[in-house]
Amino acid sequence: MTADSLAPVTAPALQLRALRKHFGRPAVDGLDLTVRRGELYALLGPNGAGKTTTLRMVTGLLAPDAGQVEVLGTDLARDPAAAKRRMAYLPDDPMLYGKLKPPEYLEFVAGLWGLRPEEAEPRGRRLLDWLDLSKHAHELTEGFSRGMKQKLALAGALIHEPELLILDEPLTGLDAAAARQVKDLLLSHVAGGGTVILTTHILEVAEKLAQRIGIIRQGRLIAEGTLAELRERTAGGSLEDVFLQLTEQA
Amino acid sequence: MKAAPGSALWLLGHELRLAWYGSAVSGGKRRPGIVSIVVWIVAWAVLHAMAFGLLSALGKHPRDDALLGVLAGGVLLVLATFMLSGALKACTLALFERGDLDLLLSSPLPSRSIFAVRLLGVAASSAALFLFLFAPFAHVAVVLGRPGWLAIYPALAALALIIACAAMLLTLALVRVLGARRTRTLAQVLAAIAGALLFLLTQSANLLRGDDHPLAQSAQHLMERGLFAPGSPLWLPGRAALGAPLPLLGMAALALAAFVLTVGRTHRFFVHGLQQAAGIGHATARPTGAVRFRFRSSLFDTIVVKEWRLIARDPHLISQVLLQVIYLVPLLFVILRNNNASGPAIATGLTLLCGSLTAGLAWIVISAEDAPDLLLSAPASVRTVRLAKLAACTMPALLVVALPLLWLMAHGPLTGLMVAFTVTGAVLGAALVVQWVGRPAPRSNFKSRGKENFLCSMLELSTTLSWGGLAWTLVALVTAPADWVAVAAAGALALALATLLLAWLFRRRRM
Repeated sequence: MTADSLAPVTAPALQLRALRKHFGRPAVDGLDLTVRRGELYALLGPNGAGKTTTLRMVTGLLAPDAGQVEVLGTDLARDPAAAKRRMAYLPDDPMLYGKLKPPEYLEFVAGLWGLRPEEAEPRGRRLLDWLDLSKHAHELTEGFSRGMKQKLALAGALIHEPELLILDEPLTGLDAAAARQVKDLLLSHVAGGGTVILTTHILEVAEKLAQRIGIIRQGRLIAEGTLAELRERTAGGSLEDVFLQLTEQA
Repeated sequence: MKAAPGSALWLLGHELRLAWYGSAVSGGKRRPGIVSIVVWIVAWAVLHAMAFGLLSALGKHPRDDALLGVLAGGVLLVLATFMLSGALKACTLALFERGDLDLLLSSPLPSRSIFAVRLLGVAASSAALFLFLFAPFAHVAVVLGRPGWLAIYPALAALALIIACAAMLLTLALVRVLGARRTRTLAQVLAAIAGALLFLLTQSANLLRGDDHPLAQSAQHLMERGLFAPGSPLWLPGRAALGAPLPLLGMAALALAAFVLTVGRTHRFFVHGLQQAAGIGHATARPTGAVRFRFRSSLFDTIVVKEWRLIARDPHLISQVLLQVIYLVPLLFVILRNNNASGPAIATGLTLLCGSLTAGLAWIVISAEDAPDLLLSAPASVRTVRLAKLAACTMPALLVVALPLLWLMAHGPLTGLMVAFTVTGAVLGAALVVQWVGRPAPRSNFKSRGKENFLCSMLELSTTLSWGGLAWTLVALVTAPADWVAVAAAGALALALATLLLAWLFRRRRM
């Protein structure tokens, strides 16, 4: 019996308990956070608030000093492979190999996640078509634009059909068409029952896409809720107004 | 005197200032530190002392200007290959990598001036190191009564200018024929191997010496009456460097003509080359048939294939690694020519080369991983990933050495087995050292990897040298057994194992 099958199906997509990380000063300082299954959660915060550090700890790239990370009911520290198998991470800087072609990149990522060739091939083909990358399938990714790289990294993140998709600034530097494609893809992932956690500095994106928003500052969660709930806590206005009021108050 | 802003002279000053900041003397700083200045002054003083020793010894023999001209000409030929290598790198940098040409070309400065200054910059950077190395000979020669040797200065400057023009013309011609993308790669490869080619030429001369092969006879003829004869025009630059007025004037005139013609005839194409270079990073969709996948069910195979693909598609990196293998070629000749192929030198050479080749590949495969976060965020077994990476970096060296090893085994089975053991040890030792103490770095840092991780490079050196030493002593034991050789072999093996233990103790903690 694997850890995956032991995890309760009612467990949240992500549960952080008293998570801490210090880099000389506290980067994440006792963070408690719960993200439900099937929601698109936006994690906002000013520069240096600890968003990326949090995501890196959640994805197993950084060991926390203290606290617990539970991914879909699986304790990341106890069974990292089981937790990683069900999630995907897309950082701000796409994790690509310049000298590989898109199909080769997908072959590699599928190999890392242990996908069988017969299930990986149709998914790879579908993702390349969906993201308009099939016509660039014979080119090395080093010549790709920022948007194309981001889309290919997204295809890599989706090839194993993760239940939890974690994205750090996924829309930075994308043109309108590519940004629209990525947004549609995230919404369709959530509509299909998946969970998305993203950080962004583009507050309109969070305003339009996110079902719940968490705001962190100096490594602590200072506010959380739907946009309407956050507005109630402040003088209202746009998410930008709410964000600025909350981060300046704290 | 200060040049007027916007003039070609002012731009040249800017170019030289940037070259100074990037030079080894300044150490990348605007002002070099006291220690750096002292080290360079001491080094220059030592060079003067060496020049004094050499020229004093030369003065004791009867003066033979023709022979001196041949010697100086030979030195200049060697310098020319190194200068060409540096100049090709500088041209690639100027055309493809420096981000300031868009700014310069969008300014009111004429493109001819920009090109001329850039070309002079390439020449100056090519000449600088060699002026540092050879100016002491000029100074000491003046003291010893040979003022003509001051011509080393103009001769080296002229040579650098000629080489800079040749390198720029070659780079631009390649852009015209191959396009900017391929030129960038090819120029980098040419720059990397230009220096090594000279080594191969000298070795081929050694290998052919005393041989009755037709090639050897032709070489002998060239030495006595042809291109390399003492009276040949090939040695005119050497005579120019020693102060012969006519050759010096001829060389200066040739450099000036090359410069004027290169700037006059090609500055427009230089701008065109830049426009092509600007398009290097942009992918265009090409209709190229259906998408083909080749998913593998084994993670091990997936990683090995990915690593080999990345290496095979980076010709610049390959050329850097293969530079080490080029030095294997003369050794192969020795093995294949001699039936008595049991020499400790051959065993040591093969072991050292395989160790250093593996160390280079291991750095690329392990330390220069492009997407470490992707590997860490995947549920893949860390053990499998590490083993696959070790296999990817050790197999090429073992394949390269397979043929000479088979040859050795056929001619002396025991010797062959000994060498196979030390080669395997060197290959595994080098890979494990990088695996344990290597630090992540971008691939572009390949050449400077030794400076960035001193501990790793020292351990690499120690493991390779100790396996090389073991190869020597083991083969010596087979051919001429002696107690002290056995003790030396045990010492070399102990050192090799101790190095591995040290590397394991200093291993980096990874998640």
